[in-house]
Amino acid sequence: MSGGQRETVKRSYVPFWMIWANPIVRRYARSRLRPTGFGVSLLLVVLISGFVFFVSREGSGRVMASPEDVARVALFPLLMIQGIILFGLGTGQVAGAMTGEADEGVLDYQRLAPMSPLAKVLGYLFGLPIREWVLFAATMPFTIISLLEGEVPLQYALQLYAVFVVAAVLYHLTGLLTGTVMKNRRWAFLGSMGLVLLLYTIIPQAAKFGLVYFKYLTIYPVVEEVMPHFTPQRLGQLVDAYQMMVPPAKFFGLDLPQYVVTLVSQAVLSFAMIVMLWRHWRKAESHLLGKLGAVGLFAWLQIVLLGNALPLIDGGDIFPSRELRRRFGRILNPQSEFWKPEIEEAVMMVGLFGVVTMGVMWWMTLIISPSRDTQIRGWRRARKFGGSKLPILSDAATSFPWVLVMAGIGVTGWYLFAQAILDSRWYPGQELSIIALPAMAMIALTGGWALQALLETRGRKAAGLALIFVGVIPVMLAIIMGVSGGLVSPAVWMAGICPVSWPVYGAGLFIPDSGMPRDVARALPNAFWFWQGVALLVTGWLLVKLRESRLKISRESMD
Amino acid sequence: MSELAIEIKDLRVDYGDFVAVKDVSLSIPYGVVYGLVGPNGAGKTSTFKVLTTLIEPTYGEVQVAGFDIFEKAGAAREVMGYMPDLAPVPSDLKLWEFLDFHADTHRLGGRRARRERVEECLATVNLSGKRDAWCKELSRGQTQRLVLAKTLLHRPKVLILDEPASGLDPLSRRELRFALQTLAKEGATVIVSSHILSELAEMCSSLCVMNQGELLASGTVDEVRKALGRAERKLTAVTYGDPAKVASWLGIQGGVGEVKVDGNRVSFHFVGEDEAQESLIRGLVNEGLLIRSFEEGSSSFEDILVQVAEGNRES
Repeated sequence: MSGGQRETVKRSYVPFWMIWANPIVRRYARSRLRPTGFGVSLLLVVLISGFVFFVSREGSGRVMASPEDVARVALFPLLMIQGIILFGLGTGQVAGAMTGEADEGVLDYQRLAPMSPLAKVLGYLFGLPIREWVLFAATMPFTIISLLEGEVPLQYALQLYAVFVVAAVLYHLTGLLTGTVMKNRRWAFLGSMGLVLLLYTIIPQAAKFGLVYFKYLTIYPVVEEVMPHFTPQRLGQLVDAYQMMVPPAKFFGLDLPQYVVTLVSQAVLSFAMIVMLWRHWRKAESHLLGKLGAVGLFAWLQIVLLGNALPLIDGGDIFPSRELRRRFGRILNPQSEFWKPEIEEAVMMVGLFGVVTMGVMWWMTLIISPSRDTQIRGWRRARKFGGSKLPILSDAATSFPWVLVMAGIGVTGWYLFAQAILDSRWYPGQELSIIALPAMAMIALTGGWALQALLETRGRKAAGLALIFVGVIPVMLAIIMGVSGGLVSPAVWMAGICPVSWPVYGAGLFIPDSGMPRDVARALPNAFWFWQGVALLVTGWLLVKLRESRLKISRESMD
Repeated sequence: MSELAIEIKDLRVDYGDFVAVKDVSLSIPYGVVYGLVGPNGAGKTSTFKVLTTLIEPTYGEVQVAGFDIFEKAGAAREVMGYMPDLAPVPSDLKLWEFLDFHADTHRLGGRRARRERVEECLATVNLSGKRDAWCKELSRGQTQRLVLAKTLLHRPKVLILDEPASGLDPLSRRELRFALQTLAKEGATVIVSSHILSELAEMCSSLCVMNQGELLASGTVDEVRKALGRAERKLTAVTYGDPAKVASWLGIQGGVGEVKVDGNRVSFHFVGEDEAQESLIRGLVNEGLLIRSFEEGSSSFEDILVQVAEGNRES
């Protein structure tokens, strides 16, 4: 047995952007496109797509005069098949295969492969779902024929499919990230599926309540925009008429096409996920985002939330009741021509903005708060090199000041949003309460610092337990009390324990005449201030413990 | 080019409060098979993981083939090959595909050049006949050989092998030993850890012993045994006189442990420096105990390590 002569070999590596030459992509092309396994999938997809294509055409040929209309009928069913392939099967494949590889330990090989971290990320991103991409491509001839015969303008087809592809990459990245980060295979698969569902199905519903940005994480805005050109002309005219009422995407003073905002929104989120994965591949122990990166992403999300929402306030398009009336108003109340948003909508939207702000801040805090292990290693390293403090941007450094910065940014955004709603022409005479700003700051700081101190002193398991006992159980009990009737006030008190309820309670407090039921209105201020007082004490105690813990680690690192 | 294949200075690895590797410094030249020995939890695997850039240490300087593994991790990975203990192989690839993939990550030329190298490495580990078999169909020993082939693909200057002989049959073990020694002769440095300690002693030209994260000794097998100091020597005096007299005289000497008589052979354990041993032999002769010959059956290296491990448990 011989390993051959030792030699110094200078090898040139394929640039990261040459996806087709990426060894990981080629490896999965080999294993996932074997004729035996792939052939059956390909046959099925071609059969189903062909069936849909011909049935749509032949079925509509009898009732539609124009050949263009007949050709267009198949477009949306084909798009649905493509969505199932790329969004559903592709994302599941990425998350499942990634966790499988991590579980088997194969990923350690890849960590050692002399490829750049970015090349590895892109290799897995496009390699794992390569079968789904090829199956998607197999449906495209039917789509292209339909587009050509349906005389769909090229620009709209390109807009839709550009967003479709970028959205697929974003979803796959989400699966890849959860699959890479989560250690337990079963939890990773469930977690990634849950996250995809949450991010791209549930959270976008918040768009209906003023957080317009979130709808741009899906392809729906672009589908709605191009729909008149993808449907038979008569239906297209109806859709077009509806489209006249749908406002264009706005970003502060700019009117932008939906597809541009969608592409930018998804591209930025994709970029953030690629950075997280790149950091993980570069160094397995490092945080997914650095301190500045996390604060930057948080600030960006606040800016886009405000940028998309504020311009829609004066026109009324941000209010959920306006959308409801647009869709169903004539059916529900054909006589009514007058529309005005209720004050409850303002409370709900301001509260939801606060919840989302807090949610994103907690997510960032979770990413950048060092575990005890990380702190010990950081301190020992610093001591070894004669340092007396940790570099403020290092993973081992406390996230305390960065939570403060994020709280500042979040409160600013939240306050601007609340003020813009109340200052709009819809609520004449209404003003934001003087306590709004300090109360918002208190909510953000107690919520942020409590989690940060808990993570840095007790770790993620303790934070998870706190989530169950403080975040979930009280809400469940409150719901039981609420539905049992007659226990509305206790239910308000009980739900007030949960930090997620604080922004909503706060909104009810900041906005005078908020139109709440009497029982709720009476209990809410007391519950809010009581639990804020408790939160302040607990946070203070946790911060003292945090200081003690850091001092202890710092002292022990000198041994 | 650096004169040392591996240079470690003040390496420390912490897992929370647990110190896995404590300020270890080590220099390994080119062209040797070097053993890393120690009981479970000694810090061997953590040291390997740092060397292979899989984990970042708390602190320390590590150079592999002259490349700082923190500054130039990519370059260091190019010149090293790592074979983990119980190495996993993908279930969806055939043997040649698995090797071709790794050859591709190392950019070992075009398709033909890669194929040639793959065939060469398969032949090296005697798996040519299985080139078209699925990786998942291999036995444990065959899997070990396949992973060894993968490790050799890019002709690494430094090979890091964690328990490479586990799962191999005796013949394959002998072949492995021969292969590693051949690689070392060609100039590569091979670092091996193993629990089959006697085999490691045969295989390695030098080694180090770790215990509780600390480096206890390093050097050749003899140097390590001396450095550990507390190892007993097995000595035998062959007498043509009365063995019982010899045994009773020995029994009252310092450093002498259990004494056994077997015919005219009196065997005993002795703990002491070389000078003390010489003085003991002189004493036997001066006492007129009719000693025909004196044999030193050195205690096995495994014995030394068992003592280290037991010392570890007692402490």
